[in-house]
Amino acid sequence: MPNGTWKIARRGNAQLPLIIVLALAVVLVLIGKAQSGLFDAARVRITDWMAPALAQVRAPLDGAERWAGSIGEIFRVYEENLKLKEENGRLRQWRNTSVVLEGRVRHYEKLLNAVPDPALNAVLARVIGRASRPFLRTMILDAGTVNGARPGQAVMDENGMIGRLYLAGKQTSWLILLTDINSRIPVSIAPGRAQAVLAGDNSASPRLDMLAPNIRIKAGDQVVSSGDGGLLPSGLPIGTVVANGDGFRVALLADAAQSETVQILNFARPKEEMPAAATLPAEAAGLQPYVPPPPATVATMAPQPLPVAKPKPLPMAPISQTAPADAGTE
Amino acid sequence: MGTTEKLYAPLLSRFFAALVPLLCGLTSVFISNVPISFVGGLVPPPLMGLVPVYFWCLVRPDLMTPAAAFAIGMLEDVMSGAPPGVWTLSYVLSYALVARQRESFAGLAGLGAVLGFAVAAFAAIAAAYAIVAIYYGHVPPLGPVVAQLAMTVAAYIPVTYIVSALHHRIVGPLRSDF
Repeated sequence: MPNGTWKIARRGNAQLPLIIVLALAVVLVLIGKAQSGLFDAARVRITDWMAPALAQVRAPLDGAERWAGSIGEIFRVYEENLKLKEENGRLRQWRNTSVVLEGRVRHYEKLLNAVPDPALNAVLARVIGRASRPFLRTMILDAGTVNGARPGQAVMDENGMIGRLYLAGKQTSWLILLTDINSRIPVSIAPGRAQAVLAGDNSASPRLDMLAPNIRIKAGDQVVSSGDGGLLPSGLPIGTVVANGDGFRVALLADAAQSETVQILNFARPKEEMPAAATLPAEAAGLQPYVPPPPATVATMAPQPLPVAKPKPLPMAPISQTAPADAGTE
Repeated sequence: MGTTEKLYAPLLSRFFAALVPLLCGLTSVFISNVPISFVGGLVPPPLMGLVPVYFWCLVRPDLMTPAAAFAIGMLEDVMSGAPPGVWTLSYVLSYALVARQRESFAGLAGLGAVLGFAVAAFAAIAAAYAIVAIYYGHVPPLGPVVAQLAMTVAAYIPVTYIVSALHHRIVGPLRSDF
């Protein structure tokens, strides 16, 4: 063992540098608490720099990683297969129902002049890095600000929502998973549209917080994003409710360990412009537009010559074309 | 070789030798935080940067200074995505523990040496856990933290062999006056 051969050199001297460095570290924690994005620029610079190498290295590792990530499922493949077949049959029926209902909803929306949902566009990105650390569960994507990725945007795989971006570099972005301890997402639980907050705690199934006390939900209810706060679009599929001893949790539809290609949803609402003067409420209501009073005449201004009024010609009587009555009497 | 070169060559060697522990620590942090998981994210990566800190804090504390531990911890913060300062403070606290009990730790050999490092790693990870709990206002789950401690202790022996080899091949000959 190496320690057996270690030769101890002279003792590192005084405690003073250690105390100073300890104090600096405490100050760094306090500054970090006040300004949590302290290292963000450095983080995205490093991942931007590593992105080409990561993209190259990932390809051969993907297979091994997927295999290792699904080690727990290998032992129940047969049962899983039977269950999936049954579920697939039921889902086909539901799909038909859903198509019919979707058409009906569109028809009703048209009849009611409903405000349409904001259009979504998506950026397709590849996962080039994963990190599962005690205090952060993240993935690194190969799309950055040059591709339109912005912090806060939702990220989906083919099954459902995985998380949202929290750092965007030029060519890479960091995704915070729904299971991460920092993740908080407003959700809606169907069928009762109960509102809650989906809070990650680094376990595989995030918990449901802030449920109103009189709300009743049950295992199997569907959880989708509620869109509260306008940060995320509403209706993104997230998972199903599962009950455990101390409350409710959500079994996520997406499996972040298996995701290779994901969609970053751009949900920027159109920017609200200030209304033009003619559409201000008072004028829209038919009132006279407000005209500001002219500026008061300043005494020091040079006197202008008064305009001379020209005498107007008097109105002339119309000349009659007929001869005067006494013209023939001379 | 000119007179000036003769004069400055030992100084440069010493300077380089003094940088080896710090560079080794930074490189270990970089390697352990490359966002690639060979096991599908089942277990967290080890704190490899702690091994050079522990090793040189015992063997050559004049080369592994508190400032070097601070810098290595700070890189861990940047690369791991943890809240700023968490690993910096944890590394410095672990360094302080090892520095204060240096005689006890350095006398360990065999399994005892591994246990000694496990104590230092436990101190760092427990400190990080406590800071994060205060930082977020709730207690994070213990499982990933315990897994990281196990991974870190498991990585100790291979990383120590590399660090020890670097020490004997580079640091020792370049600073032969000790």
